[in-house]
Amino acid sequence: MYGSGDSEVRALDGVDVSFEKGKFTAIMGPSGSGKSTLMHCIAGLDALTSGSVFIGDTDLSILNDKQLTELRREKIGFVFQAFNLIPTLNAYENITLPLTLGKKKGDSAWIDRVIDTISLRDRLDHRPSELSGGQQQRVAVARALASQPDIIFADEPTGNLDSKTGSEVLSFMKRAVTDLGQTIVMVTHDAVAASYADRIVFLADGRVAGEMFSPTAQKVLDYLKHLGE
Amino acid sequence: MFRLAAKMTLARTGRLILTSLAVILGTAFLSGTFVFRDTINQTFDRLFADVFRDVNAYVRSTTFLELNFGGEQRAATPIEVLDTVRGVKGVTSATGDIQAFARVIGKDGEPLGSEGNGPPTFGGIATSDSAGLWSITEGRLPIGPNEVVLDSATADNGEFVVGDNVRVVAVRGTREFTLVGVASYGDISSPGGATFALFDQPTASEFLLQPGFVDAILIEGDDSVSDEVLARRIDAALPADLKLETLTGAEITAEVQGQIKDVLNIFSTFLIVFSYIALGIGSFVIYNVFSITAAQRQRENALLRAIGASKRQVSRALLVESTAMGIVGSVIGFGIGILLSQLLNALLKATGFEVPTQGLAIAPGSFINTLLAGVLVTVFAAWFPARRAGRVPPLAALRDTALDTAGSISRRVVIGLILVVAGGVAMVAAMNDAPIQVLGLGVLGVFSGILVLGPAIARPVALFIGIPVAAMRGASGVMARQNAARNPKRTSRTAAPVLLGVALVTAFTALAASIRAEVRDTFGDAFSGDIALTVDSQGFGGIPLSLTDRIAQLDGVAQATGVGFTSVRLVDPSQATSSTPAGADQRGVFVQTINPATITGLFDLGVTEGDLTTLGSDGLFVNAGRAESKGWEVGTRLKVIRIDGVEVDAVVRGLMSGDTSFANYVASREMFADAPSPIFDAFVYIKVADDAVFDTVRDRIAAISSDAGIGTLQTKDEFIDDQAAQINQILALIYGLLGLSIIIAIVGIVITLLLSVFERRREIGLLRAVGMTKSQVRTTVRWESVITSLLGAVSGVVLGIVMGIVVVAALSDESDIAFRLPINETLWIVFISFVLGVVAAVYPAWRATKVNVVEAIAAV
Repeated sequence: MYGSGDSEVRALDGVDVSFEKGKFTAIMGPSGSGKSTLMHCIAGLDALTSGSVFIGDTDLSILNDKQLTELRREKIGFVFQAFNLIPTLNAYENITLPLTLGKKKGDSAWIDRVIDTISLRDRLDHRPSELSGGQQQRVAVARALASQPDIIFADEPTGNLDSKTGSEVLSFMKRAVTDLGQTIVMVTHDAVAASYADRIVFLADGRVAGEMFSPTAQKVLDYLKHLGE
Repeated sequence: MFRLAAKMTLARTGRLILTSLAVILGTAFLSGTFVFRDTINQTFDRLFADVFRDVNAYVRSTTFLELNFGGEQRAATPIEVLDTVRGVKGVTSATGDIQAFARVIGKDGEPLGSEGNGPPTFGGIATSDSAGLWSITEGRLPIGPNEVVLDSATADNGEFVVGDNVRVVAVRGTREFTLVGVASYGDISSPGGATFALFDQPTASEFLLQPGFVDAILIEGDDSVSDEVLARRIDAALPADLKLETLTGAEITAEVQGQIKDVLNIFSTFLIVFSYIALGIGSFVIYNVFSITAAQRQRENALLRAIGASKRQVSRALLVESTAMGIVGSVIGFGIGILLSQLLNALLKATGFEVPTQGLAIAPGSFINTLLAGVLVTVFAAWFPARRAGRVPPLAALRDTALDTAGSISRRVVIGLILVVAGGVAMVAAMNDAPIQVLGLGVLGVFSGILVLGPAIARPVALFIGIPVAAMRGASGVMARQNAARNPKRTSRTAAPVLLGVALVTAFTALAASIRAEVRDTFGDAFSGDIALTVDSQGFGGIPLSLTDRIAQLDGVAQATGVGFTSVRLVDPSQATSSTPAGADQRGVFVQTINPATITGLFDLGVTEGDLTTLGSDGLFVNAGRAESKGWEVGTRLKVIRIDGVEVDAVVRGLMSGDTSFANYVASREMFADAPSPIFDAFVYIKVADDAVFDTVRDRIAAISSDAGIGTLQTKDEFIDDQAAQINQILALIYGLLGLSIIIAIVGIVITLLLSVFERRREIGLLRAVGMTKSQVRTTVRWESVITSLLGAVSGVVLGIVMGIVVVAALSDESDIAFRLPINETLWIVFISFVLGVVAAVYPAWRATKVNVVEAIAAV
């Protein structure tokens, strides 16, 4: 994967990276390192000025807005830092939103399993305003999983949570990869959060600065210190 | 704080423009009507000042009637007075003036000038005297009984050239003349689109009025004395028994200017009233916009409070903003209004009611009025949102979402219900003989009650209306339904202008339908003839009585009778006291004139007491209700004063129900047989003989009427439909004017949707991210708009029907009208609201698709 920003501010410059299916990958880097831009580009939210992005065999750079939207609906799941849920829809409707948008029923056994995994079955008819921050993020992850996408992108999913609820959400995401066989790419600047991943890609100044497999929080912190020097 | 408020205002030009839009629209309509009125008035002022430029004095009869619908009718002046006047020292020229009914028949046999609501058609005198009002622009003056001159607009429209033969209908029937010239009135071709046929004085008097009489005398002096002195000299010379008076040129000019203004002002007042209604409805939009923006700026206001601004300072900042908006909006609105006035003029021209306008009259008063109304409405509408903004707790700065704080729902329901019930009681009281003002109060109470209740009912009703949308439009539909219901206050405020407009339209439509059905029934029962000849000349001319008599004598016509109208003054001698001097009340009443010998069996006037054949030349039949309220009964003696000043000692000879008579009084045409200004028939009712072929007889009548160039021939059904349809003209005008309010209601929906889209851009971004297509985003916005618009329309229709029922019930005391629900029209209203909802959503929906996904989800 390769992307480049414009000549004045290069958000991403010569990044070539791939994400493995069935793995939990974290993208780390200091503020302004281009990690969010990278994610937006791979997820088909932001247009590339040059280069291309492939999800499976699909080249995103040649798709029009409608095709991109459908691709996001069917092949990609999203978890954002905050404001993940539509306030007028209840938890269940939020979870199945990508399916209903595509007028699909979805795999009900799968959805049942996802709902059981987030253990919010008794809260399905609650509106987001009636759920705690952690519960909201779990619903958001469930929504990302509901359509069994090829890849899930999570942008600082625990950024607004305390460490305890944050780790709940993270272990749930990890289970989605290990138990349910999903692929997750998570952008974070939190070493603890990154340590849940199978692999970490480090970004700095719009370039890939390095990577790490089977990380722990301590290894990550050490690496970041080294990166900063 | 003021500078801060100004800065905050200017920082959001987009929102400033949006909010100002409602102010701009409301004030534009208002100033448009002001400028339109002023321009017409100025044009006529100049016109008459120009026309009467050479008139130094004006002699006319003192006997006149003020007509109910404005204007006056004056007795004629004998032509001999001309000699008397010419003999007065200082008079250089004197000439007779006539302005009477005459209609020019076009080359296609159709009368020129629209029959019905168009401008009037006149006949008059063309003279070489410089005091005359007309100047010949082509050809020469008419001389003798066979020559005519037309105003140049009429000559152009009829494609007449000098030398052509022209047929003209007037009191004495139809005659053919030779066109010898073309004239202009002042420097315009025709005043107000009226048509003029001009003759020499003896021809005009004989053909248009009464031989030897004119309407007035125009006098030019030699400028040796002032007009006042000249008028006094002439007055002194006039024989006292003729009851004449002399006015100066300035006086008659002012009077004519005033008269035309009176008539035009009825029209422009009507326009202005509806502009104020539109502005009032606009105030709802302004109120709504302020409420939404205040809610969206809650964090900003809370931050101000947190860093030490007082409640008052926060409120005041918003009021400063609203004042600025009111001023800017009103000034822009005034500018647009000037353009609108031109549009209005073009519109009238297109509908055949051409009003001459020269230049633009922009009175400072109009500007001040517009500015004042605009600013007051804006500040008033911003008052509550501003106070609410001040009450924002400083802690709200830390909260994320815009909250539209709703007051206690239960309190709202209680207050709303009290208002509705109180209004309902007043309306029921109005049904049971309480004065009509109580009905108005009742309607007001119910209206405000519904508006207070609005937020409480908006959610369930919007959810209900949204059921089919959610079922049919999938996820977008579900979200549209939820969005419409998510903020009941906002939704109900957005729907309120639609509700008001639709309620008024529905109520008027239901009322009109009921009246139409009633007219149809009563006329169907009353009219037992086969054909009707009608002329709609607005009380000015009509079917000469001789024509009616000719039709009655046609072969194959079993019976024919004419009905006409005239105005008289009615004095009850038992009520007249010495303290009311004669002539104090010049107000006239309408009298329906009939031919008692032929009407029986052809048209049932609903006689309840007495026999029409006993009318004679001094009898009256009176509406039973009117008679009761006046304390009159059969045998009561009344004094009838005709237009020519002749007093008739009349007797009430009978009573009638009033359902099928066109006026409260009926007299025989004999009562006016010797009057100098003759009466006309407006309708001729005809029954075809049993053994005659209908079509043949119809053709014979048509031959006579088209030869005379007058009247429309209708079958019984057509005639009854036509009578019932008269209410449609008023209805069309009311629809047109309420259209203004509907436009404002739509703009309100557009603004609310735009603000909602702006407020929900993160949500829209999220939806786009998880796979909502642009077309689905548009669908969501569109259906939210439709649900909101239908919320207003459905509740408006319900309210309008209730109001219609009540008003009809209140009216049914006087005539027994039954309420009819106009089902088709009601469905149309709902359908139109649906379409308007779709239209209103076009731009906001497009804006919603322009939300940048990455920016929207990145914004915290």
